[in-house]
Amino acid sequence: MPSVKDLRERIRSLKNTQQITKAMKQVAAAKIRRAEQAQKEARPYADTLSEMLRDLMASVGSVDHPFMKPGNANAPHGVILMTADKGLAGAFNSNIIRAGELFVKANPQVAWYTVGNKARNFVRRSGHADRPAWALNAPSKIEAAREVAYRVTDDFVSGAISNITLISPKLISMLSQKPETRTLVPIARQAQSDADATRVESGEARGAKGAVEFAPSPEAVLSRLLPKYLEFTIFSAMLETDAAFFAAQLLAMNNATDNAGKLIDELTIQMNNARQAAITKELLEIVGGAEALVNG
Amino acid sequence: MAHTIPFKLITPTKVAFEGDAELVIAVTTEGEEGILPSHAPFLAALKPGVLRANVQIEGKTERLELATREGFMQALPGRLTVLVDEALRFDDVDVQAAKDERDGALERQKTATGEQFAREQATLDFANAKLRLTGHT
Repeated sequence: MPSVKDLRERIRSLKNTQQITKAMKQVAAAKIRRAEQAQKEARPYADTLSEMLRDLMASVGSVDHPFMKPGNANAPHGVILMTADKGLAGAFNSNIIRAGELFVKANPQVAWYTVGNKARNFVRRSGHADRPAWALNAPSKIEAAREVAYRVTDDFVSGAISNITLISPKLISMLSQKPETRTLVPIARQAQSDADATRVESGEARGAKGAVEFAPSPEAVLSRLLPKYLEFTIFSAMLETDAAFFAAQLLAMNNATDNAGKLIDELTIQMNNARQAAITKELLEIVGGAEALVNG
Repeated sequence: MAHTIPFKLITPTKVAFEGDAELVIAVTTEGEEGILPSHAPFLAALKPGVLRANVQIEGKTERLELATREGFMQALPGRLTVLVDEALRFDDVDVQAAKDERDGALERQKTATGEQFAREQATLDFANAKLRLTGHT
């Protein structure tokens, strides 16, 4: 049985750990508020961009943009793997990386692009040291998103990759984040046919309102809007990764603090028992010694 | 009271302006375009440049000037929306950084081609817009 002194040491070190996890929990709680705020502030832009895209798709007949055409079928899949830069958030990063591994199992030919240091480390470890990587926690996320978008666009247009797929965490609730895999480019036929349907429906209303003027032409505006849409999708995925990471960290640190508390309680009882046992033993010795004196 | 239209200037990180405008002048890919209230429905791609507007703040007409990155401008019956990557007011511009950006873009354009050249041009135009806004040309 460990001595009282050993137990006291362990309790003290656990209390220190608990203090750290409690502090990290509070920091995560503050940061998640900021991350959610950033997401909220991006919403007006997202809504307006989608609306413009819908209007444009409805006005444009055939679209001659590389993003709307199938890519080079013989090229590897272009996959943007997005994780956090840091750990200490439970299985958050490993869940995303597992989604990446599953993707590779289904499609062995993959060209990686990584956002977040954990994703970068995974890709390096799996033997692709030279793949482009960006940190999630960039000074300007919009700049970083633009760089990522430029790079994948160039590779897609030049035929180095057959599509652009994004694997990033989705914040379902504060308690649940799941990796999500979606193809960004080429833009799905579904979106296009949805737009076609809108065109048919709103055709009359639009006719009454008068045709929308485009400068220079609907096709030209669309060919600028599609890359912007990709950029913004990557940007908002980065914001969501941030928020999801802090939510996961909050939960992980909450659990760690609770576990440390439980352990401290257990060890305190053990320590009290040990101390009581020592006192009892000492008393017995004194009583035993006194009796020996009387009897002697 | 002058005729106005609800006007919103939106960037990915914030709504940079929301209010009533009498006139908005933005740099489209085709050149400067002025939008008055009750303009026909209109959607244009914007180049980086200086966006100017006459807006109403507490009943008074005020001049709004911002350096904007590339984006889009949409006029619909009853509202006018400008969507740009970045919109900076006079006080937000870091003049030295803008000069460095301009010089860097000019330097890289010497070797860039095609799409790269166009992107550097956007960086250059935005840097120039920031400098023009602050009176450093």
